Amino acid sequence: MYDYKIRGRVFIGVIVVAMGLLSLRLAQLQLIRTDDYTIESESNALRERRVLPARGAIYDRTGRALVNNEPSYTITITPRSFDRGKIPLLADLLEVPDSVVSARFTELRRHSAFQPGKAFRDVPEDVFSRVAENFYRLPGVGYEQDFRRRYHTEATAAHVLGYVREITDSELVRLGERGYRQGDLIGKSGLESGYESRLRGRLGSEIKVVNVHGLEVKSWQDGAFDNAPKSGYDIHLGLDTDLQALAESLFVGKRGGAVALDVNSGEILALVSMPDYDPDVFTATMDPETWNHLINSPEKPLYNRATMNRLPPGSTWKPFMALMALQEDKISPAEHIYCGGYHPLGGSGVFRDMHVHGSIAVEEALEQSCNTFFFELMMRTNVEVFSKYAHMFGFGQRVSTDIGEQGAGLIPDSSYFNRRFPGWGPGFTINLGVGQGDMGVTPLQLARYVAAVASRGMLYTPHLVTRMVHQETGETLYPKIPAPTKLPIDEAHFDVVREGMKRVMEAGTGKWIQIPGIPSGGKTGTAQAPHERKDDSVFILFAPYDNPQIAVAVQVENAGFGAVAAGPIGSLMAEQYLTGSISSSPSRQWVLQSVLAVRSEPLDTEDDERAVADGESEESESGEDT
Amino acid sequence: MRIWYRNLDYLTLFAWVVLVAIGLVAIYSTTNGPSAEYLLESVRQNFRRQLAWVVISLGAGLTCLFLPVHFFQRIAWVAYLGTLILLALALLFGREINGARSWLQIGGLTLQVSEVAKVGAVLAGAQLISTMRPNSSRVKYAFLLLGVFMTPMALILLQNDAGTALVFFAIAPIALFWSVWPVGMFIVMTATGVAGYFSVVHLPTAIAFAVLFTFLVLWKTRERLYGVMAAVFSFGAIASVLFALNKVFRPHQVARILSFTNPGAEEFRSGVGFQLVQSKAAIGSGGLAGKGFMEGTQTQGAYVPEQSTDFVFSIIGEEWGFIGSMVVISIFALLLVRVIQMGIQIKHPFGSMTAVGIAGIYLVHVFVNIGTVVGLLPVIGIPLPFVSYGGSAMLANTVLLAILLNLHMRRDDFPIYVY
Repeated sequence: MYDYKIRGRVFIGVIVVAMGLLSLRLAQLQLIRTDDYTIESESNALRERRVLPARGAIYDRTGRALVNNEPSYTITITPRSFDRGKIPLLADLLEVPDSVVSARFTELRRHSAFQPGKAFRDVPEDVFSRVAENFYRLPGVGYEQDFRRRYHTEATAAHVLGYVREITDSELVRLGERGYRQGDLIGKSGLESGYESRLRGRLGSEIKVVNVHGLEVKSWQDGAFDNAPKSGYDIHLGLDTDLQALAESLFVGKRGGAVALDVNSGEILALVSMPDYDPDVFTATMDPETWNHLINSPEKPLYNRATMNRLPPGSTWKPFMALMALQEDKISPAEHIYCGGYHPLGGSGVFRDMHVHGSIAVEEALEQSCNTFFFELMMRTNVEVFSKYAHMFGFGQRVSTDIGEQGAGLIPDSSYFNRRFPGWGPGFTINLGVGQGDMGVTPLQLARYVAAVASRGMLYTPHLVTRMVHQETGETLYPKIPAPTKLPIDEAHFDVVREGMKRVMEAGTGKWIQIPGIPSGGKTGTAQAPHERKDDSVFILFAPYDNPQIAVAVQVENAGFGAVAAGPIGSLMAEQYLTGSISSSPSRQWVLQSVLAVRSEPLDTEDDERAVADGESEESESGEDT
Repeated sequence: MRIWYRNLDYLTLFAWVVLVAIGLVAIYSTTNGPSAEYLLESVRQNFRRQLAWVVISLGAGLTCLFLPVHFFQRIAWVAYLGTLILLALALLFGREINGARSWLQIGGLTLQVSEVAKVGAVLAGAQLISTMRPNSSRVKYAFLLLGVFMTPMALILLQNDAGTALVFFAIAPIALFWSVWPVGMFIVMTATGVAGYFSVVHLPTAIAFAVLFTFLVLWKTRERLYGVMAAVFSFGAIASVLFALNKVFRPHQVARILSFTNPGAEEFRSGVGFQLVQSKAAIGSGGLAGKGFMEGTQTQGAYVPEQSTDFVFSIIGEEWGFIGSMVVISIFALLLVRVIQMGIQIKHPFGSMTAVGIAGIYLVHVFVNIGTVVGLLPVIGIPLPFVSYGGSAMLANTVLLAILLNLHMRRDDFPIYVY
């Protein structure tokens, strides 16, 4: 009675139809419309993330690392996937108030709801692992392994290296298409800024599978479509870390700048600007107080005095005057000029000298730093010629090199006086002969000038970077530094001036700061500072005398005589570079201790005019590059 | 002496092994894949637990394989009673998981009694039909059989496990079709189902189908009564569905039912439609050959909710593509056909009814489950037999299969004359 066979066939028919329907549907989804669903699933689950290349390190001339990278963990939030209800949990794990997390969340959402944004940079490792353990209940929270700048050595070299900081909104607008994103670090000053593109390298990309909570769970297709980042170049400098460190320690409590150059290449051996700052403060989230100090302090720690300060050179200008006058035949090496303690132009008490030198020739005038002599040289020289020679040495303009922040200084010419002082006469220009009045130079310019004097007329371009080496390929690039030029001044004239500068160090103002056992040529300067402040102390030096290796220029603001503050610093720097240490002889240690005790006269906070004036000039200056 | 396993159906055994293996591979991909560390600790244990359940099920199945056929006949009603008691206990003391109070905690094991209930119901139904005599009242038996399936169904509905209840609801007509109804009834049943389905998906199609069906029956049978019956059933189905959608269900339930027709629509996409959107994206993006083991982005990203349980097929579709999907479909087709053929070969109504009950359960599970995952049917939460994560279903389905293999293997032990 049970016709199971027929029913069985019917049932099997139903099974075949049912399975056939499912198969047709699967064919529709997986064979016909697979492209649509592939797009759907990829837009869902795949996210391209940028891989930051390792930023290049910076090394000194001996290969010591000044700055490189260390890994750091950054907690990211993908605003779209983030559950605001989890703010207390995340805040708890990070040990910050809820309000901080919610403020950061709001900020990130403003930039992009879909991209993971760097919410908490440089999280300590224990905090990071605590958060990581809770990722599964923190949808939209992830991490990136980042690099932070790590600064080494006792030398800060802040104004050389510059600093990196999180990119600002306005920079993002400008640089967004070059692959910068919210939260990226970018070089803001110094080499970090000037060599940003070389240091940064090329971005890579990775395609990640993102889970339903917005967490990256694995790489897609084993990374078949990933692009590896190309790391940046390591930068090698001519800087000597030991010399830099010594110079910085000598500058403690002072304001000013110093530059030391390799006479035979123009490589910068040391570059100090004080007060400085610790570049490391920029790597972490900075408290407003620190930032406020950096920006608003009248001492302007971010300002690079070594390359931007515009101070009169004082008597360090005298070798220049001598060279110019000799070359222009305004005087001969043997010609004597009478010094009665003042220049006759204004009578006694106007263009004064410290002493009555009597009748002296150029070498002795340099040794004794006779003002009258150089007033007279200026009287014999047209201000146009003066300006031409000063520009020849690189004054009054920026130098085309790898230092971004530079001031042009000020070298006046007749049109300058016409503009400033209509109806001007020799009384307005005579001061220029002793490096006073309406002129200003930077330590960098001074150092370049000393190096040119030391090498009898070879004008090198001062530069920091000697080469760039790629971290992975070893490919080496050399910076485009303009070739040295030979100054159109007779070498015999240089011999005269060099001899004068040697006499300064042997018998003149530099006698007490001679480098033990190494003959040198130098010149101190004491420049009148405005606003009734203490004089600026200036010093230039090259050594050794016969085969010069190092040229130093030092400016110390409001610190008195050149031989008191700037002189010892320059001398000690040269000794350190040439001998590798400071002699332990009592006389040398006395020099060291005495200069450490020198302080720049403090700036009154009300009396900010100078700082402000400097700031203005920094912006208004637009001297043409050589 | 005859070797006891001479008649063992190896093809069925093969199908079981392949399906269980496919299920384990799919679950492994979700719990031990590269993204495992982002999962909840409890989910990460799923593979290990499923493996344990496979071992338990294997043990239970082997035990069933060695018992004499009369044993099952004798215990059928006892098992049924036990089932009802378990269901009632679950209703009273059960644990609620995903909104359904159909779980009993027994020692360290959590048993989904609604799954286990299938065994008792199938055996009881078979036992009932094997007592039917040629002169028995078919109407009476039809109602008794309905009662056998509807009683546990009611309890399971009370437990709020609509998916499993639906299985019991669907088994009843299949069992009736096999035992008491004329073949023609099957056509009416099917037509009713089709009309009901289309009235959810596309009303004009449903009406056109009902009209066509009525005229087809009239034209084929030339009996006005059959024509009227065809019209009543097909239009009745449409009317019932419309009534249910408009009057019985609440708006959010209606949205859930209707969302499968267009899960990507703005109002469903991130809500009730999310699961289907993600599941279809997973399966569709698998293409012909799939993305590869542990390479499915949807799977590794855990985009499909319940991906190791009810939506396990989305993993297979994504990681193994159309080829993998078709392997699963083919193995299920093979298994179902073999179950039916065994039912025919057993001849004794008890064995035969057991076979058809099992075939019905498997068919409903497979069709509804895969139909749901590929967006052909509303989301009805029932697992894919042997493949989905879930110990109770694995145990119940394996035991059912083992009982059938046993009855088939020892089919000669049944009396030839049943009357």
